[in-house]
Amino acid sequence: MENEFTTVGKRVVRSDSLAKVTGEACYTADIKLPGMLAAKVLRSPYPHAKILRIDLKRALKVPGVKAAISGFDTYGIKWGVFRYTKDHPMLPTDKVRYIGEDVAAVAAVDEETALEALSHIRVDYEPLPAVFDPEEAMQEGAPQIHKEFTNNINIHVNIDVGKVDEAMNKAFLVREDTFKAAGEAYAMKEPYAVVASYKNGFLDLWMPNAGPHVRAKALSNLLKMPLNRVRIRHINSGGAFGGRSEVSPGDLIASFLSIKAGRPVKLVLSREENATSTRQVHDIIATVKTGMKKDGTIVAKDYRAVYDGGAYSSTGPIATSIPFYVYEECYRFRNVRYNGYRVFTNKGIRGMYGCHGRAFLAGNEAQMDFMAKELGMDPVEIRLKNGLTSGEVTATKSKITSCGLKETIQKASEKTGFKKKWARTQRFKGIGMGCVAMMCGFPMGFRSGSSCYVKMNEDGQVTLVTGVIDNGQGNESLAIQVASEVLGVPMEDINLVNADTEATNLDPGSYSQASTFVGANAVKVACENARRKIVAIAAQKLGVKEADIGLKDRMAYSRKTPDNKMRISWAAREAFFRGEPIVGTGSFFPKIDFEREWVSRPWGQMAGTFSFGTSVAEVAIDSETGKVSIPHFTAAHDCGRPINPMAVEGQMEGSIQQAGVATIMEGNLWEGGFLLNPDLLEYKVPLACDMPDIETIIVSSRDPEGPFGAKEGGLTIRMNAHSAVACAVSNATGTVFRELPLTPDRVLNALQRKKGVKR
Amino acid sequence: MKTMKVTFHVNDEKVTLHVRPYETLLETLRERLDLIGAKEACGVGACGACTVVVNGIPLRSCLVLTPEVDGASITTIEGLGKDGKLHPLQEAFMEKGAVQCGFCTSGMILTAKALLDRNKRPTKKEIIKTISSNICRCTGYKKIVEAVEKAAEKSV
Repeated sequence: MENEFTTVGKRVVRSDSLAKVTGEACYTADIKLPGMLAAKVLRSPYPHAKILRIDLKRALKVPGVKAAISGFDTYGIKWGVFRYTKDHPMLPTDKVRYIGEDVAAVAAVDEETALEALSHIRVDYEPLPAVFDPEEAMQEGAPQIHKEFTNNINIHVNIDVGKVDEAMNKAFLVREDTFKAAGEAYAMKEPYAVVASYKNGFLDLWMPNAGPHVRAKALSNLLKMPLNRVRIRHINSGGAFGGRSEVSPGDLIASFLSIKAGRPVKLVLSREENATSTRQVHDIIATVKTGMKKDGTIVAKDYRAVYDGGAYSSTGPIATSIPFYVYEECYRFRNVRYNGYRVFTNKGIRGMYGCHGRAFLAGNEAQMDFMAKELGMDPVEIRLKNGLTSGEVTATKSKITSCGLKETIQKASEKTGFKKKWARTQRFKGIGMGCVAMMCGFPMGFRSGSSCYVKMNEDGQVTLVTGVIDNGQGNESLAIQVASEVLGVPMEDINLVNADTEATNLDPGSYSQASTFVGANAVKVACENARRKIVAIAAQKLGVKEADIGLKDRMAYSRKTPDNKMRISWAAREAFFRGEPIVGTGSFFPKIDFEREWVSRPWGQMAGTFSFGTSVAEVAIDSETGKVSIPHFTAAHDCGRPINPMAVEGQMEGSIQQAGVATIMEGNLWEGGFLLNPDLLEYKVPLACDMPDIETIIVSSRDPEGPFGAKEGGLTIRMNAHSAVACAVSNATGTVFRELPLTPDRVLNALQRKKGVKR
Repeated sequence: MKTMKVTFHVNDEKVTLHVRPYETLLETLRERLDLIGAKEACGVGACGACTVVVNGIPLRSCLVLTPEVDGASITTIEGLGKDGKLHPLQEAFMEKGAVQCGFCTSGMILTAKALLDRNKRPTKKEIIKTISSNICRCTGYKKIVEAVEKAAEKSV
């Protein structure tokens, strides 16, 4: 059965890699257009201040300046993903709410002139009291950041299933812990950049984005232009990790500057601006109370999680919910209460992150280990006992279809000798395990589905048109690989037109883990529709039944008598003769409960299917310095059938870096509203020398609805690698961790807390 | 504004330019010579995305002023392949799946090239140490190390 496919399931070279190894791949900052201007943005020096006046006159007089704008030049429309979160003006006119907020901008013949002009913009502010701690911001009398949101509570997600208090009272063992974690920096390699070119009433835009269609819609609203005149064009993206999902102030700025100047405008942010003024990751405080039966069954969970939301709503309702969901989609909770609060503070705008929620997730897992120990169980047993299985329904009523959680736990623990190592913990060494589930897509209304168009030219070469976007994960190659399999032509015969809102149709984008399950499924359906036409012609020409026709290596052949064959390109030409070319359209729409809403109705089917995974970290602590090292890391992942195992491994390995190793070294540092480590000298990203020996295990399952049985690949590990490391360090110190990242000082403190106890 | 005359070789081609004294090599390569393979990701020499090879040494072009390379011989990613054929490192990066978003790839390959040029069979440890000068945010480095190992095997 492993050989039933030609390219699916094979370690193929990604279609995008040739341009990237030769330096030809074009990213936004690489674009040059005739007459293009350089833009620069003036940013707020205050965390919270009233804007009294913005005067652009002197800036406009600087020779070489072609346009200058402030919020007073926009339509003043506020952006928000949801009807109840429209609070972000992008260029504010009333007040600034964080240091680094966009206030005004200029476009000039070159960057130097633009910078010079910025110094001539006059802004009068009246500083206001500011608040930086979410718990303080929730108190009566704290400075109010938005008048529409009392006590700065932006979002409150309340989920209450079963009888939590009753079950907690009856529980054999109850434990409550509070965990904190600093937000990480996305630190995508490419600093944010936008090119906008307005001509003849049409606006072309290039920027790293994780969903061109949602981006176009936002800008069409903010610019009061119809969708077919706001064209987000395809461009390579230097990493996203959740930080390129939403419309950015820079998009609006470059657009208005181009409209005003009548020339193309390029805005490239510095590394520091990318950190302070694009999206940031939420800092989180999570209190986890768990009740267990004597046999380790979780009988009740009671949560309070506070998310430092920064200055605006952003994807607030989603960010406030996701950590809970990826956990409840993994474990059986009969009685569970979740109170998630997202609170405004005078810090930068926050977004979703590939490793979002580490305080909550790692906290849950580390606490579970210590409770298991008290009950005489180990982490493997307790996870197997409480882990969901195929056919079960989650606490908020999502049915789990395919589920390889159990296999991932078993394989990861066998590979690492987990049980033995756990039972005989060596001094200053630890082992830990983290599990999670990952929804493959989530409800986004009619944007939850994807559509694809495919055509075959008379030479048998194929053009594939899909909204699927690639931020580096390999989604483009994935789409081509699926099409190649269905149409029986090699990958190099397929040209992809993707993520260009003029040509492509709606697609959910690459931030809800829907690209494989939804996007590639639509590609498959479209190609199957085109394939049927090829097969019909070939069957006729070869004189066999349609069911007997196979397509492979550019040939249509009889499966029974493979020598009876013809070129697929002949079928394409014949089709043109008949006036019915080989084309196909196809859509895929996941079976989701669209009544589901993040705040008002947090139940119903979340996604078409779920991925599962288990990470195991082995750590060693330097007892003198408290420095943690991670010599080994093992990850097992149920991603359905891997379309390209090499690409899935790459996602897993990257996740171990970005979530796992980050657990001991990454976190944004703040002094009030001032980000202390916005650049890559102060913010340490794991290097090759920081990486553990990595073992990745793909637990190949077959999802009944995924394309060729595939599901999301990689993010599952990104959402549990931090848990494995935090659990391993907790195991080594003998005490549940309290705060991430686990820097040497915190680890030493933990060892101190445990002092006197012989290990 | 006063400019300086600078002559150097890029990818075996002689270039003479008049540049401002404070122009960085990265700006010169990208803006004047359209060699966009070198990327600006941090601007302070922390990440290696702008690495090019100058007289056999991998340098961060964001930290080098163009007048400093007068008389030098520079290799950028665009000059790595010869006679329409990819360099073994380029092939290995593709085959091993060492490329994801691609923003660090040019710098990573050029850093590895400088290593292989002076040490044909580096140990895994040496490879890890060498490429630790460059940040990749996507791959976890495993497949990059494997690609360099593979290229080293091939070129022997």
